[in-house]
Amino acid sequence: MLSHFLLMVLYALIVGLFFTLLWRRERKEQIKLFLQIFLGMVGGGLLVAWLMYPFPSGPPAPIP
Amino acid sequence: MAESGSPSAPRPAAPPVSPASVAVAVLSAWLVPGLGHVYLKRPLRGLAFFALVLVAVLVGCRLEGNLYQPVQGQPLTLLATAASMGMGFLYFLLRYALHYQGNIAGAGYEYGTAFLLTGGLMNLLLVLDAWDIVRGKKE
Repeated sequence: MLSHFLLMVLYALIVGLFFTLLWRRERKEQIKLFLQIFLGMVGGGLLVAWLMYPFPSGPPAPIP
Repeated sequence: MAESGSPSAPRPAAPPVSPASVAVAVLSAWLVPGLGHVYLKRPLRGLAFFALVLVAVLVGCRLEGNLYQPVQGQPLTLLATAASMGMGFLYFLLRYALHYQGNIAGAGYEYGTAFLLTGGLMNLLLVLDAWDIVRGKKE
């Protein structure tokens, strides 16, 4: 069972790892970039969700 | 950037490379995600990229996302199809061997489509990366 949040985390994980491997070679730089991308995407998503909270569109659809 | 240093720093001249090598690197990179990097003697990176693209595509299929194909009268589907076909053999395997079709009524349809498009676009970036590497523009 996948939740909306888990899918967002999974997406951020895949994209973060991809660009980290693509753009950085040194381990320390890799960790830094990964955290920037991952936390930026998850944190940004949560921020947008929080801003949209006063405008509900109905109950969330279940994801199989 | 750790591997490229200052953008203004002069880059050492790259050794000449045959057009055949460039073609093999680019085509293999497109056909199988990560294979271009394996061909260019970066096997671990190639395997990691293959795994990442594969996971994105599998999650997209699990969520029954749309694997785009051109639709008459909707020119934007051409772009989306090009992005999806970026995943190389996986696109043709899903489309023609497994007869994969997304489920527009599925709850995960939009998410799945995003994952499938992302898998294709990531592989297109890998093609460009392999192209840079084989021409000596990147490590």
